[in-house]
Amino acid sequence: MSPVPLQKEPTIIHPRPSSIVAALYTLRDLDVDVVILHGPPGCSFKHARLLEEDGLRVVTTALDESGFVFGGHDQLVKLLEKVIEKFDPKRIGIVGTCASMIIGEELHEAVLEVNPDVPVIEVEVHAGYPNNTKGVIITLESALSAGILSEEEFQRQKVLLEKATEVEKRHGAASKEYLEPSRGDTKYTVAKRIIELLKAGKKGLNILNAKKETGYMFADINAAVNQVAKELGSTSEIINMANLDENLGLDRVKSHARNINRDLQKMGIEVHEIIGGLDEYPVAGELVNRLIAEKYSDFDFAVITGVPHAIPMDNLQGMEVISVTNGPRQVLPLKEMGHEYVVVEIDLHPKTLGVSSIVESEFGATLRELAREEGT
Amino acid sequence: MKQIAIYGKGGIGKSSTASNVAAACADEGYKVTIVGCDPKSDSSITLLRGERIPTVMELMQQGFEISEEDVVFEGYKGVKCVEVGGPEPGIGCAGRGIIVAIKMLQKKSSVMADSDLIIYDVPGDIVCGGFAAPIRKGLVNDTYVLTSGEYMPLYAANNICKGFSRLGNHLNGVICNSRNAENEEAIVKAFAQELGSELLAFIPKDPIVQTCERAGYSVIEKQPDSEIAGVYRKLARSIMDGISSCKPQPLTDARLRELTG
Ligand code: SF4
Repeated sequence: MSPVPLQKEPTIIHPRPSSIVAALYTLRDLDVDVVILHGPPGCSFKHARLLEEDGLRVVTTALDESGFVFGGHDQLVKLLEKVIEKFDPKRIGIVGTCASMIIGEELHEAVLEVNPDVPVIEVEVHAGYPNNTKGVIITLESALSAGILSEEEFQRQKVLLEKATEVEKRHGAASKEYLEPSRGDTKYTVAKRIIELLKAGKKGLNILNAKKETGYMFADINAAVNQVAKELGSTSEIINMANLDENLGLDRVKSHARNINRDLQKMGIEVHEIIGGLDEYPVAGELVNRLIAEKYSDFDFAVITGVPHAIPMDNLQGMEVISVTNGPRQVLPLKEMGHEYVVVEIDLHPKTLGVSSIVESEFGATLRELAREEGT
Repeated sequence: MKQIAIYGKGGIGKSSTASNVAAACADEGYKVTIVGCDPKSDSSITLLRGERIPTVMELMQQGFEISEEDVVFEGYKGVKCVEVGGPEPGIGCAGRGIIVAIKMLQKKSSVMADSDLIIYDVPGDIVCGGFAAPIRKGLVNDTYVLTSGEYMPLYAANNICKGFSRLGNHLNGVICNSRNAENEEAIVKAFAQELGSELLAFIPKDPIVQTCERAGYSVIEKQPDSEIAGVYRKLARSIMDGISSCKPQPLTDARLRELTG
């Protein structure tokens, strides 16, 4: 049998999310305390710093030119020993980089030499994978073999990741050779439109389909829609859907769902339909699609926050769709899908690291302020 | 200025050829520099009476700010010797080492600019970008392939020529370092011709080479009147006047096997 050629995909020429960074985030989700980046000191520095805000410590073996040529085994051993002594971690991660992987560094050898009495997740990863989900999968595989992840959860995560990759290729930032970043529509314009719809008593779907911790800010927008409707005395029927299942995903992800649910409850907001866990944003759309067909096909508009491009358009066709994303490269694909308005919450992610309650969004604030002006 | 590199299978005798050619050219009054790129550092040792010099990479590893005097040493008849050095087998990246060391040399040393002949003694096959760096970075204008008449060294030599064609580099000649294989000269001659090149020298297997090397000398210095010293001198001369160059046409593997019987 002759080998089957791989399907040619468009070459995406804007920089893609890095698998090394994806590994770092995954280790955080696995409640690792300290991660050693085995490679150049500058590798992934911005994310490493951000993750420190989130309680994860990230250190580097800081390989230099001499490390590339002679290898960095000794540096890794020394740093691993230091990390144990200094931080007394319960779980450690070691993440490879292009540099250490190209020269063939063996992470496991260093771990054997130090022989820590806490689990170490070794992630042999570099930034040369076109899909950053590869970094997540490699990390989960290592966690599985380190015995801190169940086979069942591993399989579940794997399916989700494949779906996430598909979503990005269909309508996401991996769908086009080059995507011009855009700020989308102004928050003022879109907030005004939502208020008009509410004043006209239009029926609205208010959908949160967020990725993990980004939910802390996207939920604020969905909350604002409810609060504003109330303040305006609108007769609109608002149905809230959210991927806030508290029983799905890694422990850390479940706790995010609990926190957001608790805050929404405090604001007196009811979530009518739970559409999945906070890690199920790539698949929740299918359920949303079904729910609309079954119960909400006569609705007039939809506000979708988080990963709006993962919600199929089939049953949204007749509605006015307003979406809120945090990706400036997401604007064009969403417009092409048929979303009337696209709002970008810039810098959303850094603001949701290290938090445990809902964070105010610019768009939410704009909505509330406009509604207040209307009221007076 | 002539800048040459000698490629060939590991252990086939590149370093002794390089150092004897260097010595022979120095005898003729040329200013010669030899840059040893093999982690074994054995291209300069016979020009320096058996003395090992610190390598660029080991100094860099120890974190020294390197100047010319630290790494450039004068050997037989003023031949300037530099050793790049490199990692232990199985760790790190020797190719990267070559790139870094050569860049550093270019920046810090005028030796290269002042020479009539620079010889890069490059390790083994062109297996990665690092080993090809001297060619890639435009530091080499003439390249030679060293082989014996046996299948494996010929295979490596042929592979190296594939690398040359890929890099758009020219081949200036084939050198045969005899292993006393049957029909050896004829085989390598045919190989060279089929590549589109020529057999530049046939260096017979002679124990004098080893004896001199063990004592820490080149044949040119220790046994200047030996027959083999004459062979190296002749090779040195053809390298210095050499103008013939070809875009090598690598052989098929089947043809290579046929050649070696
Ligand atoms: S090239 Fe690779 S190793 Fe280097 S900084 Fe970028 S991601 Fe890190």
